[in-house]
Amino acid sequence: MLRQAVAVQVPKADLTFASGLLLELHQAIRATPKGATFSVHLKDQFALAELERWSSLTGNALVEVQSSEAHGVVVAIRNGALPASEREAERPIGSRVWFYTNFDCNLACDYCCVRSSPKTARNALGVGEVSAILAELRLVAQTQEIFLTGGEPFLLEDIAALALTAAEHAPTTILTNGMLFAGRRRSALESLPRDRVALQVSLDSPDAGLHDLHRGAGSFEKARAGIRIARDLGFRVRLAATVSTDVDEQRFRDFLDAEQIPPEDRVVRRVALRGFAEAGLALVRADLVPEITFTGRGVYYHPVGATDDDFLVSTALRPVADIVRKLTELRERDAVHRNSLAEVFHCA
Amino acid sequence: MKNLLLGAVAYDPKVVTIWEGMRTYFREEAKLPIEIVLFLSYEAQVQALLDNVVDIGWNTNLAYVQASAWSHESCAPLAMRDTDLVWNSVLIAPKGGAIQSLADVKGRRIALGSRDSGHAAILPVHYLAKAGLVEGTDYQATRFNTDLGKHGDTGTSEADVLRAVMNGDVDAGMVGTPFWHGIQEKNLVPAGSIEAVWTSPAYPHCMFTARQGLEQDTKSAFVKALLDMKWENPKHRPILEAEGLKEWVLPQLDGYASLREACTQQGFFERR
Repeated sequence: MLRQAVAVQVPKADLTFASGLLLELHQAIRATPKGATFSVHLKDQFALAELERWSSLTGNALVEVQSSEAHGVVVAIRNGALPASEREAERPIGSRVWFYTNFDCNLACDYCCVRSSPKTARNALGVGEVSAILAELRLVAQTQEIFLTGGEPFLLEDIAALALTAAEHAPTTILTNGMLFAGRRRSALESLPRDRVALQVSLDSPDAGLHDLHRGAGSFEKARAGIRIARDLGFRVRLAATVSTDVDEQRFRDFLDAEQIPPEDRVVRRVALRGFAEAGLALVRADLVPEITFTGRGVYYHPVGATDDDFLVSTALRPVADIVRKLTELRERDAVHRNSLAEVFHCA
Repeated sequence: MKNLLLGAVAYDPKVVTIWEGMRTYFREEAKLPIEIVLFLSYEAQVQALLDNVVDIGWNTNLAYVQASAWSHESCAPLAMRDTDLVWNSVLIAPKGGAIQSLADVKGRRIALGSRDSGHAAILPVHYLAKAGLVEGTDYQATRFNTDLGKHGDTGTSEADVLRAVMNGDVDAGMVGTPFWHGIQEKNLVPAGSIEAVWTSPAYPHCMFTARQGLEQDTKSAFVKALLDMKWENPKHRPILEAEGLKEWVLPQLDGYASLREACTQQGFFERR
């Protein structure tokens, strides 16, 4: 079942373009209000790849894909492009840098894009490697923001050293579930400079039910407590929600309004069809602005696909100059693909 | 020797690279010094040809027949690409949809490219009229008048036509064969989604056109230099590849009759 509410369902199943999918799409578009979604049931993954081609041609966004043996491939399609608020703005490569400090986590969220859980191998980067990367990065990019994410970074004993190393280079945000601010971990938090380090705490819903459904029983109250601790310690705290539907998104935005959270401290995004997620936004590299993402396994194009081969840029973490060059080439190649239609025919 | 001034329309940044290559070949190998004058529209280039500001223009089929008509045939055809000899317009439509032939256009909406594109608008409208189908009466047209002045060279309006067909905004659309073959070769549309339901008779495309009064010796030297360019020559090949041909050929003029007829009917020989 799709999590999206759809206005129109194409009744025919097992569709492909060779069996009349295009005409069914046209009918559905005519029957669907602009900005609303409709769903189609495809024959297989090959048909999905073709549908992505149609989507990039027409601009109608694929907003959710569900694939299962029982139900086949079901896709929710928006009549029209995603609103600008859900698209990414262009930014220079290296201006935003991500470090997956580790991949293990005290939670096992059902939509985690990198499959983190208590059973996941740590695959830590380590302070030495992060420091070496940043030293090289300084020579080839003007980094404006650094993000430390996981896994749960506060599981690491050296999280304070990692954050201090990053914060010396650029303002740094630690992505955390906010549930571990006690004992030595609280001491680690307390040791960080408030003017250079911020926290981004995941909170998926205004109420415990939906949050705990995705993230585990009791996690909502612990996260709220963690947010209070961090704020009491003087840290800037961003709230980040990963939502599945328009309704969930609006409820969370209403909650942020009620809590008087400023716009710059709000992060609301859709579940990506990556990692553990069985449904969500189908994202390919060309959909995204590259953000260098360093992990213990290699360097990736964007943090949303930091365990996926299609996002892997290099298994070597350095030289960073080579990484930046590769990312630039990939972005240019994707741009060429996007523009290839206009370039099909040039008379000369 | 005085530079021969050759006009070309800069519809894309690569045009500079192409004519740098041609200029080098003409100067260093053919020993015929040319200089390139780039225009941003064919209207300006044709006017420059008529005013003797440039000696030779690299013209689209529309620009060539206009220069020829407005100079009372004094602007002379010199040479064309082998790939200019056979062009077609193609009516593309969803497979299994309402339009399966040219006659099915009656009562429907189709997309057309830029109004100054011979292959995506002028000749399609002409052939529809020959089949008894008049725009606005027998069918409705959504026209994508993008990149006007470039005579369809950029392909942008054909991409707009394709998007309209794929989105169901129209029942079918007209594009040229280079675009149609290109999107198939590059797998830019889902396999089996659309098909060519009608293909026009063949017609020619670009033509080097000399200004009136250009000396015969100069014209002959220019044509000889073109014909001396060989695909097998590693110095010539990159230039020919970039320009989209294997060899330059002498003008073949018969095929322009349909475009001349279309231009007369659609008002493209009227001076504005």
